[in-house]
Amino acid sequence: MSRPQHPAEATIMTPTVQPMLAASSPAWITRAAVAAILACLTTAALAAPGPHSSEAELLAVLRGDAPEADKAITCKFLAINGSPAAVPDLTPLLANPKLASWARIALEAIPGDEAAGALRAAAGKLDGRLLVGVVNSLGARRDKASVPLLAGKLSAADAEVAAASAWSLGRIATDEAATLLAGAIEKTPAADRLDPLAAAAVLCAATLQAAGNAEKAVTLYGVVRDAEVSDQRKAEAIRGTIIAKGAAGIPLLVETLRSPSRRLANMAIVTARDLARGETADKPLAAAVDAAVLEEIKAAATGNAVPRAVVLMDVLAERNAGGASEPVGTALAGMVSAANPKPIRLAAIEALGRAGNAAVVGPLLVASGDEDIGIADTARMAVSTLPGEAVDKGIKGQLAKADAAALPALVELIGRRRINAVAELLPLLGHADGKVRTATIVALGPTVDLANLEVLVTAATAPKSLPEGEAARTSLREASVRMADREGCATKLAAALEKASAEAKVTLLDVLGEVGGTKAVATMAAAGRSGEEALEDAATRLLGKWMTADAAPVLLELATAQPGGKFKTRALRGYIRIARQFVLPDDQRAEMCRKALAAAAEAADRKAVLEILVRYPSAATLAVAEEAVKLPGLEAEATKAADDIRARVQPAKKAG
Amino acid sequence: MSPATGSKPSRRASRRAFLKAGLAAGAAPMIVPSSALGLDGAVPPSERIVVGGIGIGNRGGYDLGCFLQQPDVQFAAVCDVKERRRAHVKGVVDKHHGNAACATYRDFRELLDRPDIDAVLIATGPNWHGLMAMLAAKAGKDIYCEKPCTKNIAETLAHRDTMHRSGVVFQAGTQRRNLPHFAFACELARTGRLGSMKRVYAHPAGMRAMTSGWLPEEPLPDAAVDDWDMYLGPAAWRPYNGRTLGDGFNFEKGGGLVGGGVLEWGSHCVDLCQWAVNDCPPPVEYSPPKNDELVCRYADGVELVFREKGWIPLGSCPVRFEGADGWVEAGDSGKMVLSSPELLAGRKVEEIGGYPATFHVRDFLDCVKTRAKPKGNAEAACNAHLACHAANIAIYLQRPVKLDLATYAFVDDEAANRLRSEARREPWFA
Repeated sequence: MSRPQHPAEATIMTPTVQPMLAASSPAWITRAAVAAILACLTTAALAAPGPHSSEAELLAVLRGDAPEADKAITCKFLAINGSPAAVPDLTPLLANPKLASWARIALEAIPGDEAAGALRAAAGKLDGRLLVGVVNSLGARRDKASVPLLAGKLSAADAEVAAASAWSLGRIATDEAATLLAGAIEKTPAADRLDPLAAAAVLCAATLQAAGNAEKAVTLYGVVRDAEVSDQRKAEAIRGTIIAKGAAGIPLLVETLRSPSRRLANMAIVTARDLARGETADKPLAAAVDAAVLEEIKAAATGNAVPRAVVLMDVLAERNAGGASEPVGTALAGMVSAANPKPIRLAAIEALGRAGNAAVVGPLLVASGDEDIGIADTARMAVSTLPGEAVDKGIKGQLAKADAAALPALVELIGRRRINAVAELLPLLGHADGKVRTATIVALGPTVDLANLEVLVTAATAPKSLPEGEAARTSLREASVRMADREGCATKLAAALEKASAEAKVTLLDVLGEVGGTKAVATMAAAGRSGEEALEDAATRLLGKWMTADAAPVLLELATAQPGGKFKTRALRGYIRIARQFVLPDDQRAEMCRKALAAAAEAADRKAVLEILVRYPSAATLAVAEEAVKLPGLEAEATKAADDIRARVQPAKKAG
Repeated sequence: MSPATGSKPSRRASRRAFLKAGLAAGAAPMIVPSSALGLDGAVPPSERIVVGGIGIGNRGGYDLGCFLQQPDVQFAAVCDVKERRRAHVKGVVDKHHGNAACATYRDFRELLDRPDIDAVLIATGPNWHGLMAMLAAKAGKDIYCEKPCTKNIAETLAHRDTMHRSGVVFQAGTQRRNLPHFAFACELARTGRLGSMKRVYAHPAGMRAMTSGWLPEEPLPDAAVDDWDMYLGPAAWRPYNGRTLGDGFNFEKGGGLVGGGVLEWGSHCVDLCQWAVNDCPPPVEYSPPKNDELVCRYADGVELVFREKGWIPLGSCPVRFEGADGWVEAGDSGKMVLSSPELLAGRKVEEIGGYPATFHVRDFLDCVKTRAKPKGNAEAACNAHLACHAANIAIYLQRPVKLDLATYAFVDDEAANRLRSEARREPWFA
């Protein structure tokens, strides 16, 4: 009985699945491997080494004279299935430059001290790269018993061995490892030896810190900070220290924010961004960090360090995204004041947009009317993103009190925030100031409901001014395409179309084209056969790019029976487009092609239909192509199309 | 429109605009070079971000183009194990900058040793991504790294921790995080406009395990021409073969016995699914594929479904998010299909837009200056990759596995736990 094929096996063995394994290549599994198994196992299954092989089968491969490729893949399977019993057969491979890495794949994974012991023993015998490899594996296993061995290699003549030993101690990260790394740093003068030690110490400290031993971590970070190491290592140690010390680390954070070293200052900014963040963050610590950053912003803003203040405000905004505390919100709101330099104002406004709440709407609304366009635009953008219904209420509340100068900005904010304020907006359509009327039309686009859609229809089809007409057409489209009741919306637009002027009818058809749906298609059909050239032009243009297949019957009708006939070709090409591009059942597509061939007068259109038939080969499209052979002038091309389809539909017979 | 990117305003772009305006009046800053933010078009060399590229092949060439479009980028060096490619990319860079200053390296560690290089673009094959990014972080470089970013669960966690420890800016090559229509779809899910989330779908394009094999030995080329040892890097040893060298895109993807489409495409589409569920930790339960679907379950019961079939034809890398009140599906065509037009709030799909991926590079460069986290940051990439690796383990073992999010170990499953990591070839570690 054959066993089920494993997905990994299939890939290993199948050249078509894994292009690298050509059929002529031995790939992983060779006859020699199978022979080795058969020779060694009395109860062996007739299987090559693989996911289902027993440990005994796999060890037989290692013990025999199988090629290196087979031994290599065997090591991988032993990494998953091997037991300590496999260790004696894997250990000799550690000295084999070709297979050592494969053996370590298994020896890193096999549980138990046998595997670790084999690696430790090998570390005493090997040198160079092979030694580095086993040292790395001891680190990967976090083998505490190897700490003395690794400590002894920190001063190895081979710098790579010393660096790898340090890193493995960092990974093991016991108190003893930390002490050894600290001692090595303190007595190592050479820079090229020092930096790997420092990197390992930072790793060790971070691991200790994660395990809850912050005190030991801070001590080790301190050793790195005091050493003559690269700025990157110092920066890492400073970051670790700040995180480990919590509130007590804030003075160091502030000191580092002011560092003249770009790398250190950058690290402080990163740390200020992520310290005490998230749902489980220590809230008092988060507040303390905010306060410290705020003080730095104030100091920088009043000094000659405006760009620094700007970046720190970005930090504060990120820390408080979605809702700043009262002190932070108040401080930022204060910086919006016109008394501050423009860069500070802009950064504060942007920060409030990300971190503000209803409490800061007032200063932002004032700024949204600022005579500086940059300030005003930024403030409006900020208000538009503030969270909460209280903000909406605040804006609506301002609406009743605002004069003509302030109204456009407030109305714009209603639109941007999509505040449900249609009742408050509708009276403004009759406002004496055209800017207010235009702003209201724009704001109704994202807010008006279906019941009030007519106001935009009117504004679009009978505008009071050119700007209002342009705004109304955009708003009507925006409102129409978002209506959940698509058919209801189309019905209203179609009704308006009946009463509209010729020019307005085209505008409404354009909107209907974007709305789509059954009623829209029917309205297009009526327009297409209306006898009015402008409407027929618009209807065939819009149906020609329709996004659903229900436009097809209308297009065919217009292609064959449009009274004036001026847009017949366009309609037919729209019909052909649907047959070519849309997901359709084979029979339906074939039938559409049959009808298109019958309707097509031009050779190019007939050829396009034949191309569709070939593109979707099926019995149904083959039948249409065979019929097309009889059409005058199409015999040769239809014959070729039929042949092409036939070749793809009917599988080739096997030779012999 | 932003002159540098041609992008539509976004929240991030908006912030950048503020910084630009904010810095216009400032003195020469210590942290954020004013003109490096593109204030006056021309950017003095002293204020450019100096970038080095490693392993610039097909995909990397696209990334390189995105970097070179940015006026504040000085591409200073390229590294490749292949001499022909080193020379080619140097030619592209030198032509762009109008000089012959782009240095070439065979060993990326020499490039990382250069103190003048601020950031690196890593576009090698996936065999190198994780390790090289961690070594770059240790060198203090900011990193834009192509995906998949890691080979297994252990490397994924180490990668995340390394980026956190070293404080560098890391951007995974998950450019769809900066494509407006995908961002819009994710925002619908995240902000509750689809109702409470029920299911998110990702397209793996092949739920098969894969491994890179051991092809017949061929004569080893001169390392100055093709450096086989450096190409193998952390992958276990095998003899030189030209076809293996030529397929860096697939070589050791996912490391050992797992990998495949779940990782190749999942690092994109699962990443988007993760974004849709607010970048929460990865799913806790993974079942092997059944009827072309691999179902995973988050701790809160929401399902992540790797689905091969049933997609609306919206281009490659489709995703679908389903909530109690609606759904949205989006793909690389730049289009979306939604359960209700109301979800578009009056906008057209075409207005929301799709490519180019330049947005993602710009996001990275802005964050290099502000030290903020880019959208494809290490934590986000970590969660998506953990989900892909765990799903691959379920595929390999052909049985359900449960992931403990406290330890990132599988519950009572030794074989699954052994698949979480794989030894690197000597002498590599990070």
